[in-house]
Amino acid sequence: MKNESIRAAIRFAGLVLPLTWTSGSLAAQMRATPQASAYGVSVSTATVNQTSPAAVLPAGEMMATDQANDVTVADLVTAQNAFAIVNGDLSDGSGAVSTATLGAVNILNGLITADGVVAMASSTVENANAEGSSLASLVVNGVALDDPAPNTRVDLPGTGYVVLNEQIPTSGGITVNMIHVVLQQPVLDLLGGVIGYQTIGNIIVGSATSSVY
Amino acid sequence: MSPLRSLAGVTAIGAIALIAASCEANRQALAPTMGAPRFHFFEFQCQPLKMTGGGRIDYPPGTADKNPPASHEYETFGAHVMASGQFDQNGVCVADKGALEWVDHRPEMRVNGSPLNLHATSVTFAELAVDAPHCTDGAVHWGGTLRVQNTGQENLHFEVFDCDAGEPGVGQDGFAIRVIEPIDGIGHYEVTCEPDVSPAEPTCTLTGGNRQFHPTH
Repeated sequence: MKNESIRAAIRFAGLVLPLTWTSGSLAAQMRATPQASAYGVSVSTATVNQTSPAAVLPAGEMMATDQANDVTVADLVTAQNAFAIVNGDLSDGSGAVSTATLGAVNILNGLITADGVVAMASSTVENANAEGSSLASLVVNGVALDDPAPNTRVDLPGTGYVVLNEQIPTSGGITVNMIHVVLQQPVLDLLGGVIGYQTIGNIIVGSATSSVY
Repeated sequence: MSPLRSLAGVTAIGAIALIAASCEANRQALAPTMGAPRFHFFEFQCQPLKMTGGGRIDYPPGTADKNPPASHEYETFGAHVMASGQFDQNGVCVADKGALEWVDHRPEMRVNGSPLNLHATSVTFAELAVDAPHCTDGAVHWGGTLRVQNTGQENLHFEVFDCDAGEPGVGQDGFAIRVIEPIDGIGHYEVTCEPDVSPAEPTCTLTGGNRQFHPTH
């Protein structure tokens, strides 16, 4: 009888303990780290380095926001009604969503204008996408562009180029830059001929990044 | 039967009873009465839960399709809520914490020259909706008080209907908000949708973002 009791106890433990181990190990395997950040306007040149408004998901929190009614960066960018909102869950890493929205935007004294920008990046363990992103009333160098496809490049003679609806896959997520102006200047040879271009700055309007890994 | 077998049997029965009791629908788990029908969200349980994420709705009409961007007919938001499944002395299923940031970009909703911006100042209740089967991962009714950032108007009560219908959230998940008291300069405010455009009335379908339901935390 004693041996039978021991065998029963072993059977019981054999049935129950693996269930405990499985759920625990699965949870550990599924736990990931989400990251989320967003900003309205960012300018980076030799003389200007400014980002506003900006939100980054902090440790221990599930949301962060920032907002600015008017953003002016030198004579490079003006924007109105800019919001940055980021969400995620660091405790179980199940997902992250970042959003940057802006109203009227004017870049490089009217070279690029828009009156509604939405950058949205959404990531889960299974999926990352930029759904929900949009550009309203976009005009680039005098040409209206409706709903540009991802990573649409338009040259800006004398300035550089702009990438519209820029979508960059990242490790476990995505970065979305709705308007990314790359400022360039020509590189000249000894005779003054243009042999290339070098990047001297970046202007990004409407950026959202999220990832889960 | 050996003593160990008897003990195992009793333990198993007890565990089953505990689980059954914890899953039983609690008809007292009601949020504060806010004077409006809850449409599809009729039955609730007070239990531990968490809902996180953010997104975009193109309301009206609130379908899975985006409106033309130039119309500015859309809303964006971030929101989360956590609850331990506890009642307060008034029978309210209380929320442990939560947040809401809501921006309505519609031209007709501009206040003082800016998009309507609602910011939760407290999240007071959260309950699991058990009659929204299309919200396959979970549905939550929650709310509290908010401030209108455009004007500083405070202590307006709000309720949210929150639906996680799987991954990805776009085209599947739903979200809706109703502010109980009038907003200065706007009046009654709600973004709610009909059942034919959303996974569960009165939520509107996300055109971007994701809602993420967690049964416990």
